Amino acid sequence: MLTAVKNQIRVCSLSVKYNIMREMVNKVTFLTNVGFMALNNATFLVQWMILLRLRGDVGGYAMREIMLLWGLMAASYGLSHILFARAFSLSELIIKGKLDAYLVQPKNVLVSVLTSSTDVSAIGDFLYGTVLVCACKPGMGGFFLFLLFVVTGAVIFTAFAVLMGSLSFWFVRMDMLQNQIVMGIVSFGTYPDGIFKGVSRFLLYFIIPVGMAVWHPVHVIVGFDAGMLLTVLGYAALLAGISVTVFYRGLRRYASGNLMGARV
Amino acid sequence: MQAIKVENLSKTFRVKRKEKGMKGSVKAILHPQTEEIRAVKDVSFAVEEGEMLAFIGPNGAGKSTTIKMLTGILYPDGGHAEVLGVDPVKKRRQLAYRIGTVFGQKEQLWTHLTPYDNFRFFGAIYDLSEKETEARIDELLERFALEDFINTPVRNLSLGQRIRCEIVASLLHRPKVLFLDEPTIGLDPVVKENVRELIRQMNEEEQTTIFLTSHDVGDIEKLCRRMIVVNAGQIVLDDSVEHLKRHDPQHSLEEIIVDIYKSEED
Repeated sequence: MLTAVKNQIRVCSLSVKYNIMREMVNKVTFLTNVGFMALNNATFLVQWMILLRLRGDVGGYAMREIMLLWGLMAASYGLSHILFARAFSLSELIIKGKLDAYLVQPKNVLVSVLTSSTDVSAIGDFLYGTVLVCACKPGMGGFFLFLLFVVTGAVIFTAFAVLMGSLSFWFVRMDMLQNQIVMGIVSFGTYPDGIFKGVSRFLLYFIIPVGMAVWHPVHVIVGFDAGMLLTVLGYAALLAGISVTVFYRGLRRYASGNLMGARV
Repeated sequence: MQAIKVENLSKTFRVKRKEKGMKGSVKAILHPQTEEIRAVKDVSFAVEEGEMLAFIGPNGAGKSTTIKMLTGILYPDGGHAEVLGVDPVKKRRQLAYRIGTVFGQKEQLWTHLTPYDNFRFFGAIYDLSEKETEARIDELLERFALEDFINTPVRNLSLGQRIRCEIVASLLHRPKVLFLDEPTIGLDPVVKENVRELIRQMNEEEQTTIFLTSHDVGDIEKLCRRMIVVNAGQIVLDDSVEHLKRHDPQHSLEEIIVDIYKSEED
């Protein structure tokens, strides 16, 4: 069992390494991708600085909380797209019957699929998020919590993408919905939770998991709450479990395909 | 001993149906219609260890679907299959260590990497140590004459070179059964002959069982002693190549096969 896990990690590490090597073939594009993504994120922060000058706070968030929110969102999004970028195009792989190459390998299909692609611009997101949170001076404990929540956030992001993508085993054209709904986490997650009330708040906690990915974590970093921390950990584990179950249940319906294709 | 045993294997696909034009598209949203297509119907056969079998048929006959069920890619709807005594559905990963697959129309190699890096990656996939992988690469490098392009990115290789690399990648872990789905598609006659020779060599030296699908009669004639013809998901012929040729000496094997396809259509 331990050897199998060790071997799977070896393959995943090689896969991520080769993905990054592929992107680094063109050094200029690689560096500009990373740099511009960080710069792109920074421009939004300027908008928040102006807005918070006009109003003291928005939805209970001052500049420090906004920086933590953006930092956590960027770093979680970055980590999930560096390690598991394929989760976000899983729907397309299923619809076009491109899982064959992974199914004939003696490794965990889902893990092999997820680690088979890397989004290099996500390195910029990850670095930007980490620098931003460090700028908030969260202290040792706060930084440790940040790292923990980056991992849980990446797990929630990835698991939710896998769950949405796996629905393509049952419904066609889920790729469009997968993109829309997964990107919804980013769109809503960069605003303070205090501005959402009633049904929208319920949806953003329980249907699109923005609350568990970033809002709860920001609250825990600002004022430690063991209950909230455990809720986030439990939710991440539960969502991961559900997404894995749905993927493997759906895999039985996989229809493969005869389109000519290359592994790029 | 039997390497592959298949009993009443079946697979049905559900395909959406739509009438033509925009009206048809709107109607398909309001009243979606599906049609069941039985790609494989109660297919039964066995392949002995070390045998080279041609599994042929016209397009859409169910060849690739059968291969995909035997390799664990697709779940059958009915029947049972065993490859090397292992059920591909229940023990896909265990089986994957002992079989190799080459799909002529689909690349398994990473195109931005060199064949050498690809082979190292495949070595890791099959849990080979670095030493074992290097030794096996050296062995296959010579046999498949890859020296000149082992360090050239796969995307820059010719089709023939790429197919040779695909076969090497599928052989690194010394599979007992090799599934070849149209391995010579698109290759020129010289390269085709080269690939056939390599497959034959491998079968002789390592006693690898070969399960081959191809539309190229040359592949069948030069590699296989036995062929199974499938049409519309059913086996319509299971005979030795030699017997077929002896039975109808006036016609070439290609003509005999075309006749079989046509008689089934009628």
